[in-house]
Amino acid sequence: MAVGYGKLKEMNVEVLSVSTDSVYSHKIWNESELSKMVGFDMPFPMVSDQGGKIGTLYDVYDVDAGIDIRGRFLIDPEGIIQAQEVLSPPVGRNPDELARQIKAFQHHQKTGEVMPSGWVEGGQTLKPSPDLAGNVWKEWKPPTK
Amino acid sequence: MLVTKQAPNFSGMAFHEGKIKKVSLEDYRGKWVVLCFYPGDFTFV
Repeated sequence: MAVGYGKLKEMNVEVLSVSTDSVYSHKIWNESELSKMVGFDMPFPMVSDQGGKIGTLYDVYDVDAGIDIRGRFLIDPEGIIQAQEVLSPPVGRNPDELARQIKAFQHHQKTGEVMPSGWVEGGQTLKPSPDLAGNVWKEWKPPTK
Repeated sequence: MLVTKQAPNFSGMAFHEGKIKKVSLEDYRGKWVVLCFYPGDFTFV
């Protein structure tokens, strides 16, 4: 997340990370490992969720393990959740996919256009209208690999 | 399911730029926010 932060900042996106560790643990993890990994201090607030109250609100708190699993929520300026992704602990997330989704939602909120499957920045979009219903196949073909 | 719904508000203590401070989600209204949960400090991915 820290590595992709510059890109997110350019898109006017704030980051909050959350785990059930204490703020002191966050401090030490930042100092002793994370900052050495990426070459700078964590640029976003690292929130402490001891007891799992925040994780419970977002349904990512694993009561048996006492931890928040890897849940990622994209919240728009109105406070509406536009996307979520939840992974079990062993696999990390893909910041590029997160950036792609943010670009797509921001584009939609600006233009009303919708982004077909596999859309990347600069790719074809669609303008929903009565004429387009049933005719998407004329306008758009699935990308071939 | 939470997608399309109002994000549940919360506040909590956070470590940020060398300081410990209180953070509330509602303070971020007007901005896009990525809220990122993870299993624990010193985990590997």
